[in-house]
Amino acid sequence: MNDTELVNQVLNGNMKSFTFLVNRYQKLVVHITGRLIQRREELEDVSQEVFLKVYQNLGKYRNECKLSTWIATIAYNTSINYLRKFKKSDEAGLDEKAILDKLTEYRPDDYETTDLHRYIREQIELLPVQYRTVLTLYHLEEFSYQEIEQITGMPEGTVKNYLFRAKALLKEKLKFVVDESSLKLVKEISNEK
Amino acid sequence: MKNEELDYIIDESFRTEPEFRLPADFARRLTLSLTRREQWKTDVREYLYLTAVLISLLAVATVTYYLIDKDIVIRFFSFITQNAVTVVLIVLILNFILLADRVLLPLLFNRYKRAS
Repeated sequence: MNDTELVNQVLNGNMKSFTFLVNRYQKLVVHITGRLIQRREELEDVSQEVFLKVYQNLGKYRNECKLSTWIATIAYNTSINYLRKFKKSDEAGLDEKAILDKLTEYRPDDYETTDLHRYIREQIELLPVQYRTVLTLYHLEEFSYQEIEQITGMPEGTVKNYLFRAKALLKEKLKFVVDESSLKLVKEISNEK
Repeated sequence: MKNEELDYIIDESFRTEPEFRLPADFARRLTLSLTRREQWKTDVREYLYLTAVLISLLAVATVTYYLIDKDIVIRFFSFITQNAVTVVLIVLILNFILLADRVLLPLLFNRYKRAS
C-alpha cells in the first residue's frame, strides 16, 4: 500500500491502517526523537505525542511533500518543543571550542579499532542538538538537503555546514588514529572551510 | 590509518542505527488508546447533543407555558398521562432504535469484518 492510499484509509477511519502507518514510520520518529531528547524513559511518550499529532493533522496533509518528510517535521518540532519546555537546552551552544571540550578524547589504548564505531556513536550523542539533528536526518534517514531544510527550517547552507563541522570535530578527536600525511590533508580542508 | 579509511568509518557510524527503540507492541497500544480517546470524544459529543435537544425542548415548553398559552402545555402533559401505554411503547421503540444504531449494528459489523 502506498502512502496516499494509506492516508486515505486512515482518514476514512480505518484504524488498522493507522497501526500500519505507525509501524512503517516508528523507526523514523524514534530516531529523531531519541537523538534529540536523549531520554530513553520519555522516548515512548514523546513518540506517542508525535503520532497523535500525525493522526489529528492528517486531514491537513497535502501531497506537497513525502509523508516521511511531513512526519519527520512533526517529530522534529515536537522534540524541540519538549526540549524547550523542560529546559533541556543546556547545550554547549555552537562554539566549536566548547563542543570540542565536551567531546571525549580518543585514546587508542582504551579503544580497540573495532570500537571506533562505538566511540563515534557516543560522541554523536555529545554534539549539540543541531548537529545531531542533521546527522540523523541526512545519514540515518537519508533525507536530501532540501528535505532537511523543509523539516528543520535551517537553510541548506547551514545544514551542509553542520554536517561538515560535525565530521571535522570528530576527526579532530580522532587525529591520533590518522597517519601524518592524511592529518595534514584533514587540517587543510578544515581551514579552507 | 588513512584519512579515507577514517572517513569511511565515521560515515558508517553515522549510518548505524541508534540503540534506542520502542516496545514491539507500541503501534497496537497507541491505536488502542487513540480509538478509546476518539470513542470518548464521540460519546461526549453525542451526550452534549442530546442534552442540548432536551434543554431546547424544555425551553420551548417553558416559553409556551409562560408566554404563549398555558393550556397547550397542560393539555400536552394530560395527553401523555392519558396515553401512557402508547407513549411508553414509542419511547421503548425509539430506545431500541438508538441501541441498535449505536451498539448492536457496530458490534455485528465488527464481528462480520473480523470473520471475513
